[in-house]
Amino acid sequence: SLRQVSQRTISTASRRQLENRVPEKQKLFQEDNGLPVYLKGGIMDGLLYKVTMGITVLGTGYVIYELLMASMPKKQK
Amino acid sequence: MAHQAHSYHMVDPSPWPIFGAAAGLLTTSGLITWFHYNSSTLLTLGLLSMLLVMLQWWRDVVRESTFQGHHTPTVQKGLRYGMILFITSEAFFFLGFFWAFFHSSLVPTPELGGQWPPAGIKPLNPLEVPLLNTAILLASGVTVTWAHHSITEGNRKQAIHALTLTILLGFYFTALQAMEYYEAPFSIADSVYGSTFFVATGFHGLHVIIGSSFLSVCLLRLIKFHFTSNHHFGFEAAAWYWHFVDVIWLFLYMTIYWWGS
Repeated sequence: SLRQVSQRTISTASRRQLENRVPEKQKLFQEDNGLPVYLKGGIMDGLLYKVTMGITVLGTGYVIYELLMASMPKKQK
Repeated sequence: MAHQAHSYHMVDPSPWPIFGAAAGLLTTSGLITWFHYNSSTLLTLGLLSMLLVMLQWWRDVVRESTFQGHHTPTVQKGLRYGMILFITSEAFFFLGFFWAFFHSSLVPTPELGGQWPPAGIKPLNPLEVPLLNTAILLASGVTVTWAHHSITEGNRKQAIHALTLTILLGFYFTALQAMEYYEAPFSIADSVYGSTFFVATGFHGLHVIIGSSFLSVCLLRLIKFHFTSNHHFGFEAAAWYWHFVDVIWLFLYMTIYWWGS
């Protein structure tokens, strides 16, 4: 009945979302594996790091290029 | 394994400071190429890299504190000093714009018709939306304090409700301001009135958005059990910032909106 359905308890799958998972994180980030904190979370850390580095390094190169171009005299006709 | 004989936090080597500096270079150069050469590539790269650096740097601070336990009382004291100094610097930032407003409005030039508001400018009625916005921010100051008390008392559900309400009030303010900006009968180009109005309220609005984002991150962390009843400095820092944003609005309202009309 509708009453019974509306009073159902949360299923186990979604209950895990509302539990305190800090101890698991504490274990992961205190593991003695020599990884620095910015890479210690897993594969995604490395990916994000590479993307950020890519953008900043390539961007810096582009800025230097633009500066060189802007400092050159324009070609006379 | 060596252990430290002091209560400070010697951080792991990190790439975020130098990447952050590069992001600043890209953003500022991007502004130049956007203004002068009509190209927004660099600006986009700059803002994107700035966002990535902020997300990863602050993610790491959460890891170092909540997950690795490096934030001793000594470390927390340093963070408190840091946040207070930062907010003080922001206060000086706004002081400059208030100075500009009073410089122009106390001695209105002949070009403005020798009056303030200048001739032809129809200012917003301070008793309409601006007054509502004042009430909204004051209320949000109450709700964020309610949230803090709930955290210290260990009342999880109430803390989540109060913080959510604070954030919703912040969004409501931003939405109303955006509508006011759209509907205003004057623009930023309308003499020094427009300049002082939109630059001062504009930077304030940006700070409301920053504050709302900070509070939203705190809500997420609150839901994920990161805060304890006596260690929740991230939340306190966000609450300080939010009160600062509220105080700036009160000054804006009293000076530019009310006295200035």
